[in-house]
Amino acid sequence: MTVIGEMAGRRPRGHDLSLERESSLKARLVARDESALAELIDLTSPWLLGVAQAMLSDRQESEEVVLETFRIGWQKAGTLAASEDDRLLPWLIRIARNRAIDRLRARRRQRLKLERFRVTHDAGPAWPADLNEAALPGWHVHATVHSALRDLPPDQLATVRLAYFQGLSHSEIASHLDIPLGTVKTRLRLAFDKLRVALQPLKEWLA
Amino acid sequence: MTAHQWFIEHRADLATRTLDPGDESKFRDHLSRCEECRVAVAGLERELAWLPMGAEPVVPPPGFRHQALDRALGTHRSAWRIPLGLAAAAVMAAGGGLWWRGQARETRLASELVRSRQAFAALSDTVAVLRRAARVLHASVAMNDHQGSLVIFADNITHRWNVVFQGLPPAPAGEKYQFWFICADGMVRSAELRPSDDGTLMLTVDMPGQAGAVLGAVLSMETTTSVGNAPKGVQLAHLLL
Repeated sequence: MTVIGEMAGRRPRGHDLSLERESSLKARLVARDESALAELIDLTSPWLLGVAQAMLSDRQESEEVVLETFRIGWQKAGTLAASEDDRLLPWLIRIARNRAIDRLRARRRQRLKLERFRVTHDAGPAWPADLNEAALPGWHVHATVHSALRDLPPDQLATVRLAYFQGLSHSEIASHLDIPLGTVKTRLRLAFDKLRVALQPLKEWLA
Repeated sequence: MTAHQWFIEHRADLATRTLDPGDESKFRDHLSRCEECRVAVAGLERELAWLPMGAEPVVPPPGFRHQALDRALGTHRSAWRIPLGLAAAAVMAAGGGLWWRGQARETRLASELVRSRQAFAALSDTVAVLRRAARVLHASVAMNDHQGSLVIFADNITHRWNVVFQGLPPAPAGEKYQFWFICADGMVRSAELRPSDDGTLMLTVDMPGQAGAVLGAVLSMETTTSVGNAPKGVQLAHLLL
């Protein structure tokens, strides 16, 4: 039973996101099935919020980005139909990440973000206490990506974190790490080359 | 380095949107004219598509699903929401006014704001079920000298029911009001209903995920020790979808 005011922490109904389920979800979204949208929100919200929160360091703004992501996703679901290559979750995450980057660039609060980053980075990532990883579709993808990131040399990992997960530009990273701009570019190029190889097994994921 | 070599070397940066805004703009302009780069960048985007999953997941706040549904579906705010919105705004305004009165008070108010926001979101989430209800069922319920009613709002999108229970006395000692789902494969025990002093209760229950399609509901009076998936006491209401 769920009593009024105690709706927090509802877990997604499904425990996986298989290719078949993703394909069915896509078809239902294209057909404007609102229950498919509700299902999609349950499945993907933790990941989209995670991406936005990592970049914006602001819970309220992150939620706003994700709400916008679902609005855009619902509007543009029709464009997903034609392409087998367009996977639902990466597509949504790309929208969310792009919205977060746009906001970052618009608000020009990098200095504040850097300060926050130092604090959170030094303290290590905060683990959400009530997140049941077994019930979270996509958890093993998260673990695989983490493993790939951990295998990077520390200087490359730090650069990728700042560029990809914190949304800083090359010149901002150079300034923050006090290294030449060319070094930032080299580190990123080497890191992305390694990550492309390491993430290959995920190409055909879901499950 | 040739001009095109620069673009080749920065393809991954564009695919991951890690270029400086000026360089990104320059590259996008180039992309509109260069098929080779366009194909290469699209391939890189696919190869690195799962990279964002390296971010730690975040638990959505209460009511987030309904906020997202409302935003995506462009649902209009209806009249009942206005007082709720004003109430939340008032709480936030009060918080804003007191913000400057000291660090301790600031922290306390910030917490209150968060709680108010969560309570408001949870209330919106619950009331959204009423608004979205695909079916509304009503039954009169007689209990001793009292005449009450049971109203069910069935939301087929989120698979939840809001149950409103009015005008019934507290259950006699040793007994309880028990709510049941009638499913295709049998009865499924749901919540125990405990009306407040004025005989009202409103709660949200998830529709059972097993036992087949939900066909209706039953309200019965059971002993407090009753167990199992079949009503044994007096059936006070019986509703079919």
